[in-house]
Amino acid sequence: MKLTFNWLMELVEVPDPAAFGPDELAERLTHAGLEVEAVKPLSDDAGALIVEVADVRPHPNADRLSVCEIHDAGEPRRIVCGAPNVRTGMKTAFLRVGAVLPSGQAIERRPIRGVPSDGMLCSEKELGFSDDHRGIMELPGDAPAGTSLQEYLGLNDWMLEVSITPNRGDCLSVLGLAREIAALTGGRLRVPAVPDHLRNHPPAIPVSVEILDPVLCPRYSARLIHGLRPAPSPPWLRFRLEACGIRSINHIVDVTNYVMLETGQPLHAFDAQSIASQRIVVRTAGEANTLTTLDGSDRALHPDDLLICDGDTPAALAGVMGGAGSEVTEETESVLLESAHFDPLTIRRTAKRMGMHTEASHRFERGVDPDGTRYAMDRAVALWEQLGEAQVVPGFADAYPGERKPAEITLRYASVKRALGVELPHDRIHGIIESLGIEIKRSSDHDLVVSPPSYRFDLTREADIVEELARVHGYDNIPATLPAVRMGIQGDALLRWVRKTRSLLTAEGLNEVVTLPFCSAAMNRTFPGLWGEDGKPVRIANPLRQETDEMRLSLLPGLIENLHYHSERRSETSMIFELNKVFSLGSEGGYTERMNVAGLIRGHRPQRGLRAESRAFVFADMKGIVEDLLEGLGHANCRWRADAPTPILHPGGFAAVSAGGVPVGYVGEISPRVREDLDLPTFFLFELDFGAIVNYARPDFKVRPIPRFPSVERDLAIVVAEDFPSQTVIDWVRELDRALIERVDVFDEYTGAPISEGRKSLAYKVFYRSTERTLTDHEVNTVHEDLTRRLCAAFDATLR
Amino acid sequence: MIEALEKLHEEAVERLERCASEPELEQIRIDYLGRKGGKLTALMRGLRELPAGERPRAGQELNRRRAELEGLLDARLKGLRESTETLADGGPRLDVTLPGNRPERGRVHPLSRVTDEIIDVFTGMGFEIARGPDVEDDYHNFEALNIPRDHPARDMQDTFFVSDDHVLRTHTSPVQIRVMEQRRPPLQIIAPGAVYRHDDDATHSPVFHQVEGFMVDHDITFGDLKGVLTHFLEQIFQDEVRVRFRPSFFPFTEPSAEVDIGCILCRDDKDSGGCRVCRGSGWLEILGSGMIDPNVFDFVGYDTEAFSGFAFGMGVERIAMLKYGMDDIRMFFQNDVRFLRQFPP
Ligand SMILES: [Zn+2]
Repeated sequence: MKLTFNWLMELVEVPDPAAFGPDELAERLTHAGLEVEAVKPLSDDAGALIVEVADVRPHPNADRLSVCEIHDAGEPRRIVCGAPNVRTGMKTAFLRVGAVLPSGQAIERRPIRGVPSDGMLCSEKELGFSDDHRGIMELPGDAPAGTSLQEYLGLNDWMLEVSITPNRGDCLSVLGLAREIAALTGGRLRVPAVPDHLRNHPPAIPVSVEILDPVLCPRYSARLIHGLRPAPSPPWLRFRLEACGIRSINHIVDVTNYVMLETGQPLHAFDAQSIASQRIVVRTAGEANTLTTLDGSDRALHPDDLLICDGDTPAALAGVMGGAGSEVTEETESVLLESAHFDPLTIRRTAKRMGMHTEASHRFERGVDPDGTRYAMDRAVALWEQLGEAQVVPGFADAYPGERKPAEITLRYASVKRALGVELPHDRIHGIIESLGIEIKRSSDHDLVVSPPSYRFDLTREADIVEELARVHGYDNIPATLPAVRMGIQGDALLRWVRKTRSLLTAEGLNEVVTLPFCSAAMNRTFPGLWGEDGKPVRIANPLRQETDEMRLSLLPGLIENLHYHSERRSETSMIFELNKVFSLGSEGGYTERMNVAGLIRGHRPQRGLRAESRAFVFADMKGIVEDLLEGLGHANCRWRADAPTPILHPGGFAAVSAGGVPVGYVGEISPRVREDLDLPTFFLFELDFGAIVNYARPDFKVRPIPRFPSVERDLAIVVAEDFPSQTVIDWVRELDRALIERVDVFDEYTGAPISEGRKSLAYKVFYRSTERTLTDHEVNTVHEDLTRRLCAAFDATLR
Repeated sequence: MIEALEKLHEEAVERLERCASEPELEQIRIDYLGRKGGKLTALMRGLRELPAGERPRAGQELNRRRAELEGLLDARLKGLRESTETLADGGPRLDVTLPGNRPERGRVHPLSRVTDEIIDVFTGMGFEIARGPDVEDDYHNFEALNIPRDHPARDMQDTFFVSDDHVLRTHTSPVQIRVMEQRRPPLQIIAPGAVYRHDDDATHSPVFHQVEGFMVDHDITFGDLKGVLTHFLEQIFQDEVRVRFRPSFFPFTEPSAEVDIGCILCRDDKDSGGCRVCRGSGWLEILGSGMIDPNVFDFVGYDTEAFSGFAFGMGVERIAMLKYGMDDIRMFFQNDVRFLRQFPP
């Protein structure tokens, strides 16, 4: 909320005003939970004076210029002026020679078309007050000539912007903040007085008020004012409103806004003639219809919207906006002033439904003082009287069917110590409570019963009172302590796996990325992730961008977007991974989230050293990274199969991998079709179900003794069908379980001449070892020959 | 046989002469005399296959050459060591300013780094980790946190909706509820995770990360909240960071406190009016916190007379941006390699 410093200081008397400037004020409010976000001087004083134009004559050499005489501190001065509105007797703004305009232009003594000009008469725009440049400033006839314009306009002031949290609706007003200042400084509140004649009016006017739903409208007060015709507001009112971010319209509307800012009570002025039935009825819309609000829109009404009606005809959307039909216009001659209290939830729902957020609805949603309707109404009427010839119809309407009983709250001294950790002396507690206008009803040695004022509707529980004590006492004055902590906490296993994964993959050269989980429907269709049958995307009802209105099923779209980003920037190599959540609407309709880990490599394998040669990535590079990762995560033995194709992968370069006996994901080269559709260079990728990997991890193992006797190696090269998986031989040998054969590794694969078409050569190294002795060549040869023979027979292989 | 031996010997001598370092010398020893793959060793093995008459002479010759080579290797090694010691007098040197052969390592994302730092400070204080879903129901995200439907406090967080009663969680606070529904005090928990707000500009990202924390037991006080969070901030920002606690409002805590630290960017600057980050105030908002509201305890069935606790939440991006002097939050999600690789491996 915006307000001005001087306005606030008009409403509160602080103990040491000289030492209490805008910055000190901002500091105090901020420390009390009312954060001052900005403090700005309203205007730099250019030194303009108020002057009366004594004489105006045509310029001898120019049709559109005039030569004026003004009196500045008794001295007559001759000024050349080009404004169309300059005339004898007007009061306007004057700058002496030597002054500097906000634009930086200095006023010089120089002849204009042959006539010397001794200063300048200024427009509002030239003085930086507004954009108005239609002519020189028009000031009221009673503006004191020869005095500072800045001061007269109330511009020697500061705009304060205070962020009011939703619980402090009472502080959405100058009065509310003045109360806080008074409580914080020990100062005294100065509420602007309402003249006695208004206070002594009888409670009746020729307009009746009926409230059909006292819960939604606990109170409705109104007054009738005749002879109130719209007129421009005086400068002080206009400039003060504009400093608070409210546009000046006419003095009828301006006063209602002014009093709303001052007291927090939204007011609404109806054109009294438009309330033809003389009956105000407050009711919900029910079956009704539509209402044209004063912004000109036709609003379709919801049955629950609360309406102010002229008899049966809707006249305003309660607490949100007036109706166009009852609006104050140029023809208005009398006004019905509404000062009411509405249920916050109803106002909020209506405002939300209509997409309207007004100064009034903002305040009603957060709560307004139900006991403040009459004061605000009288204050507005007093201001109209002060500004012109308003004839107030004696009396007022005031229906208050929903009167609230003041809350009574028991505060135990022990609760204060228990919550804050510090003992506050009882007299300090009493002092703070009273400074906040909270009444102490009863007190004993260990507790007291308090009753908050009507504007502190946020205080209903003991904890609320404790908070007030902490706030006013000052958080700085509560000593910091360290609580005792209980032992017996286990480390976090998932966190350990996550960190391990990051360290393994970064060691392989992959950079970790964190991408946004929003995804297009098309990308989710192309990359359905590892969900299988359950892969139904979660849709966002109100996405930021229509094209990404789903949550990702797979991490790949994010990685691919990053690949795009970098290939557009001519980056040749990408190596990235992400460990993050993927989302699905499971088959039963529940939302399911899983952790996946996915990666992508593109370009060339980075080489160590200056003259090292780089080489393009191949499938085995990606597979190697995944093997390393899986082993690091406790899966020493994984199964790789090429029999579960996924359409996103190259039919000749993919593998599904199982770990701990369950399928955990896949590795492969992107399918050429998908790659072309996405306009991407080729790359290799993997995506794994992190939860499954971690779940089935077997991180524990036993150390084997180091062999006492050396091994003997024999190479074995066979020619087999091209689609023969090399792993088959390794598995077969393990199955065979022959004594002396320790293990078999594959070390080469070769196709091409002299191997015939459709066949390939695989080279294995067989390790022979005994745990009891060093093997002789003869022994090894015998076993090796036997193995070779069996192997060729088993797989229709020929020796190479 | 003898011919092959002579050829090997020549080859070895030639390599020895060119050899300039100990590792190279060691390689030569392995290449010729190695027990497994040594070329000379292989010739020795081949002795068996020679006709019996030739074996003794060949054996003799082999042993002679072998001894000779060993002698040469040792002499060369001695020479190399001596010349290393005399290098100080100005022999040829390596250009040691050339880069070493480093392996290409990837980088951990800065958000992971900072989250880990935060987690480590709290686990060091005995906090354990809890997690919750990103797609959260209205009850846990709002209702049980004392943010009823149609309450203006809902305006504090622009929300992504997935259905009428499910949202993308707007904060990590629902994890508080989920943990308290399952367990009884004492609790000291932190909950890191992604959160979502309907917002997108240089200072807001629709997704960002929070670390939520809370502690519940008998007699936990506002003073304890101050102590724990001050300790945390001192650990994270090191140096002597100034910390202030300022009243604020969160629906699920009372009293609530916004925690500020002294601006770490303009702290040495006397005239700080121009600092962009703290807008000249000298303070930076870093944490929201407060004593858990009794209404929240009511929702999870805790006795408000028996237990009290504090809760807090912080933005990981905010802390990372301050630590690393960044001003655009979107860099975290752009993942430009030129950004990521600025963080050391
Ligand atoms: Zn700063």
